[in-house]
Parts: sequence; C-alpha cells; structure tokens
Amino acid sequence: MKKLLSIFLACSCLISLSACNNKKSDSVTLPDGKLDKCTLRFSWWGGDDRHEATLEAIELWNTLHPEITIEPEYGGWDGWTEKINTQINGSSAPDLMQINYDWLINLSSDGLAFYDLNLLTDSLDLSGFDEETLSFGKVNDSLNAVTVSMSGRGLFYNSQAFDSVGAEYPRTWNELIALGDTFKDENSYPLDLDIQSGSTAWYLAVVYVQQNTGREFITMDGKLGFTCEDIKSALDFYKSLEDNNVIRTVKERIESDGNSALYQSSEFIGGNIAGVLEWGSAVGKYESVLDDGVLESGPFLTDDNENNTGWMIKPSLLYAISSNTKYPDEVATFMDFLLNNQQCAEILGTSRGIPASEYAFEHLEQTGMLNGLAHENAVMLNELDTVTISPYMELAQLKEYYNSAIEKVSYGICSTDDASKEMYDLIENYLEKINR
Amino acid sequence: MKRLKSYNNPVGVSKYTGLWLIMPFIVGFSLFTLYPFVSSFILGLTDYNMSSAPEFIGLDNYVSLLTDKKFLKASVVTLKYTAILVPVKLIVSLLVALLLNLELKGVGFFRTAFYIPSILGANLSVIIMWQFLFTSDGLVNQLLALAGVSPVSWYGNPSSALAIIILLRVWEFGSTMIIFLTALRDIPKEYYDASKVDGCGNVRAFFSITLPQLKNVIFINLVLQTISALQEFNAPYMITDGMPLHSTYTVGMLIYDEMFSYFNAGYANAVSWVLFMFITLVIALLYAVTRKARRDS
Repeated sequence: MKKLLSIFLACSCLISLSACNNKKSDSVTLPDGKLDKCTLRFSWWGGDDRHEATLEAIELWNTLHPEITIEPEYGGWDGWTEKINTQINGSSAPDLMQINYDWLINLSSDGLAFYDLNLLTDSLDLSGFDEETLSFGKVNDSLNAVTVSMSGRGLFYNSQAFDSVGAEYPRTWNELIALGDTFKDENSYPLDLDIQSGSTAWYLAVVYVQQNTGREFITMDGKLGFTCEDIKSALDFYKSLEDNNVIRTVKERIESDGNSALYQSSEFIGGNIAGVLEWGSAVGKYESVLDDGVLESGPFLTDDNENNTGWMIKPSLLYAISSNTKYPDEVATFMDFLLNNQQCAEILGTSRGIPASEYAFEHLEQTGMLNGLAHENAVMLNELDTVTISPYMELAQLKEYYNSAIEKVSYGICSTDDASKEMYDLIENYLEKINR
Repeated sequence: MKRLKSYNNPVGVSKYTGLWLIMPFIVGFSLFTLYPFVSSFILGLTDYNMSSAPEFIGLDNYVSLLTDKKFLKASVVTLKYTAILVPVKLIVSLLVALLLNLELKGVGFFRTAFYIPSILGANLSVIIMWQFLFTSDGLVNQLLALAGVSPVSWYGNPSSALAIIILLRVWEFGSTMIIFLTALRDIPKEYYDASKVDGCGNVRAFFSITLPQLKNVIFINLVLQTISALQEFNAPYMITDGMPLHSTYTVGMLIYDEMFSYFNAGYANAVSWVLFMFITLVIALLYAVTRKARRDS
C-alpha cells in the first residue's frame, strides 16, 4: 500500500509540473481552408446594451451559417478576468474571446495562449486595420489579438443635475474644482471617481499630472515614467477633489453604495452624483439607467492655458482566438463577420465603441449610425494630443497599489508624502519583477 | 466464478469485490482531492505565474509570507473574524435550539424559517438585502433615526464593516442550530423529571444536565465553525470586497486575488498551505484542550 501511495504521489508531482505548462505542449490545430459543421463558444463581458446587440448579431450569423452554431458566454466585468484565466489554464477557453488589453501580458506573455492570427488571413480579412492598430495585439511577432475599437475615458454628465444647479460643464481643472461649491448647496457632487476595479480615481489623477509634466505614467515597455514627486502630485490632486466637494470621499462612497457599481447606485440614478469618468465604449450602462438624452459628453479638461495633453486612449477591447481551438477556420470566419460584416456592424453599432475596422466604420458613417456618446467621445479624443496607455498600467496588482494609496490618503491614515513613497517603491519593484 | 464461502465470508464474494465497490470513491478522491492537494504543495515551491513554466524556488514563497504586510493584515482580520463569529454563532444557535425544543405551537414553521438563511449563503439576493439594510440610508439607519440615534457608517468604518459580515454569518445559524436541536432531542426526559423531583430549577437543569449532555455536539460545531470561519471568502468578497482599508480582507480573499487577479499561482498555493497547516494546528489544539472535558461527559 505504501509503495502504491509513493508511486501515486510521484506521478502527481510529474503531472502537476507538466500540467503547469500544458499550453505549450498542446498541439495547435492548423487551418485547412474548409468550413466544417461545428459549435463554437464565444465569450464577452459588458453591459446589457452590448449583450443584446451581440446576441442579435449571433442570430444574423446563424441565418448566414446555420452549420456553425455559436454558444454565447457573457456577463459583467467583475470576476470576468478570473473566469477567463481559469478557463485558459484549464485548457477550456472559449474558441473566440473578447479580451482586455493587459491580458496579453498576463495570459500570453510568450504569445502562446492565443492563436497566431497571421495563420488565419485566408478567413480573416485584416486589410481594414492600420499597422499601428494591429500592433496592439502583437506578442513576440505573433498576432494574438485584433483591436475591436480604440477608446479613451471621457467625462459624462447628467444634464438635468447640472441644469438644476445652474452650472456649466467644466473646461479646466480649476473650473472642475470650483464646481464643488456649486453642488455643495444641493448636497450633491459634480463627479464620481472609484477605487474599485475601474480605478478611475487614479486614472484622472494620472491625466492631470501627465498634462502638467508631459511625462507618461508607465511607458509602453513597462517602465515607471513618473517620479515619486509626480505620484505625490497625483495624490494631492485627488485629495483636493475630495476636499472641495467635487467627489465623495472613499468612506462616503462605500457607506452610501456598499460594494455596488456607480451605475447601480441610487445616488447616480437619482442625480445626486452628476458626472462619471468612463470609457466611451462602455458608457452605455450609465446612459441606460437615466432618461434618454440626459447623459451628455463633457469637454476634456485642460489647464488654464488650454493645454489638453495627457488624456489617454487604448484598444478598449480585442478579439482573440484560443490556441486550443479545433476549428480555426470557422472561428476566424466568425471573427471576420463580427469585425467587418456591414450588417453585423449595423447591429452592433457602437456597443463596443467606434469600430477600428475601416469597413465597419465606413458603413456606420454612411448609414448615419455613428452617433451617441461613444462617437462624441471618440471625435473629441481625436482632436486631442492623446497618450496611448501602457498595458502595464491596467495590471490588477498595480491597480491594487493605486487604490490602496488613495484609500489611505482619503481616510487620512497616511500623508500623500508617505503614500507616494510607498506606492513608488511598490510599482518599481513589481514592474522590475514582471519584466525580469 | 467459484464462490468462496467461509465463516468469515458467508456470501462468498471475491476478495476484490469490496475494492471495486469503493472504487468510485477512491477515483473521485484521488482526482479531486489528493491530486490537487499534492499539486498545490508542489506549486507552492515554485514561482508559477500561470503563463510560463514554473521554476523551483524552494521555500522562497514561505519566506516572503513573513514580510508580506498584506498577508499579515489578512491573517489578523481572519483571526479576529473567527474569534468573534464562532462563539457568537454557537451561543445564538444553542439559544434558538433550546427555544425550538420547547413544545410550542407552530414550532415546525419556526424551525424551517430559522433554517432557510443557512441555505441561502452569501448570494446576490442576500447581498442586495444587506445593502438595503446597512447602507447610509438603509433600513437599519432609518430605524436608528426613529429612535433618535445618529446613523452608523456600517460599510464605511473598518470595525462595523467586519461586524456586518459577522452578522450575516450569525444570521445563517440554521445548520448549527439543527445539530444542537437533534442533540437536545436525544437527552432523556427522565433526567429532567428526576431533577424536578430533587427541586432543581430550569437554569440549574441547563447547566447540570443540558450542557454536559451537549459537550460533544458543542465541540463538533466548534470545530466545523472554526474551520469554516478561517476559510471565509464569499461573504466579504461579495459584501465589501475587503474594504475599507482591508479591514474585511481575509486570507481566503488573499489566496483568490494572488491566484486569479495577480497570477501568482506559486505564492497563492504557499498561502493555501499555510492556512491549511494553521487550521490543522488550531483543530489539534481544540482537541487537546477539550479532551478531558469531553471524556468526562
């Protein structure tokens, strides 16, 4: 019995270690140029507007390709990364996945977790994408993903709430801070920033410092661009927003909303919170909880000299194919349909932001479908001298450092000086570790 | 097949029949318990990050734990949570079980009603209910206002945030209560009758008859609840997400974050093993400390 147990344990050790690296040992199914009858899994996250549009697009696909069935897997953002991570590591990832920009670093640092789309160009037309847009999905010369849309965070305001206090949308940082007093009389706030998965509090502070200094927070190759003083300035800026009633303190936010997202909060739906910083591609969920036309795009804030730099853009979403898929031709054809098909583009509209594909974009433009907040946001961003966000900036561990520092500063248990030093060291060490 | 009837084997089954009969369990246990258990220990000795091949780093992960402020804070939170939750839950369960053991009208309804929360767990509807109760303009603060008491920042204060999670778990006392109730039913009524004849009151009967008779069941509930509290993940994850200031951030949440959010699989497995060893130690201590009292009963 003891001997049997020892053999079992030894086998477990071997299997465990080999299973850790199963992504590399699995053979990749090469394309054969045919479309076979099959069922494909397609996963995405988003709000209801995106879910409804995507399900409708899948219905259209079913009429065009009844032999290829699509099984949708969708949900909200919270917990989605963990779910996909588990699926990829368990070799049970969906055939086609909507992925986030930083997942390329986390999940496919060697470029092997996702299918090399360069092998699928017979089924997937990439001629509608420029080189720079395609470069966002490249890892070690392997085209791991294709950008669905470019997006940036913008400011969106509840027009009724602004009308009720007789305020105009702010154009400069100083005007934003001055708004705090106007809203204070109504017991409300002109803006909301979070320290949850969105980390919008740190994002806006980074924009402010980038605009002032011209330095990028984290460079594209994963180096910390801010100095310790820059981080302190960002934290000081955040604290000034709280102190001037521009946003709720972290404590006020938690005690009022619990763990809910802002768009589910009665404070936002009721108009007590009059503004939000959100991706143009995801603002639909805020729009849908207010009456039609109530939420409007606001100007991108500048300094008093109208310097509008520092605002950021990134590939808001990308599509990637699992390296374990048994049907590469079929998935690539479906991906091509989602990216380039004109009828599909009409259905999807701007539910994933303004399409990066030239074909989809032109069709939406010709049919007059490029409107709404996502489009306004994209147009305004085009007029700015934007910075492309480093994928490293969105790493969950770094978000934890930003959120933790802001929380400590907000609760007053740490000065901005101490918090910035601690945060600077943590970020430096982490970036060094993952780049090693 | 020739039957091998004998005094020790009157049915005449093969000596491997028993093994075959328990094979489904052995296979299930090996695949879903033993294999992950062994794998977890091995991964804890590596720097596995879930995207590249793991490298053996010996006890480095365990050494890092000693200086990891987040782990130390999570350990303190978990211990505090366990130390408060377990006794409170046991006392509440026992008191309700004593009430339900009385032959009252409609006791069946109350037994079911009290049990329901424990099967709900920390699911979405419970989370929404907790928010309805404890956010700044929630029901509890409205009731406090009616009583002239200032509102409490339930979610915003570190100590009250932990308290509302403890309250959720105490509210789910059903299964502990059912175990107590079953044990109470097993205490012979003659003991109480005899004590009444001797002039013993209800309080004296509780301490001299009920409690001694329940010693083993109290111990079982103590062990089960301690294990469950030290492994707590779901309630703080759903209700507060560890906030504010990591005051509700448990070791279970740390393991989850390290594994699935930060992709430090090696480190997450090392923390799991430390938690496992700590739980084993605590339970061994509980056994040792209560051995004499349990034997006496």
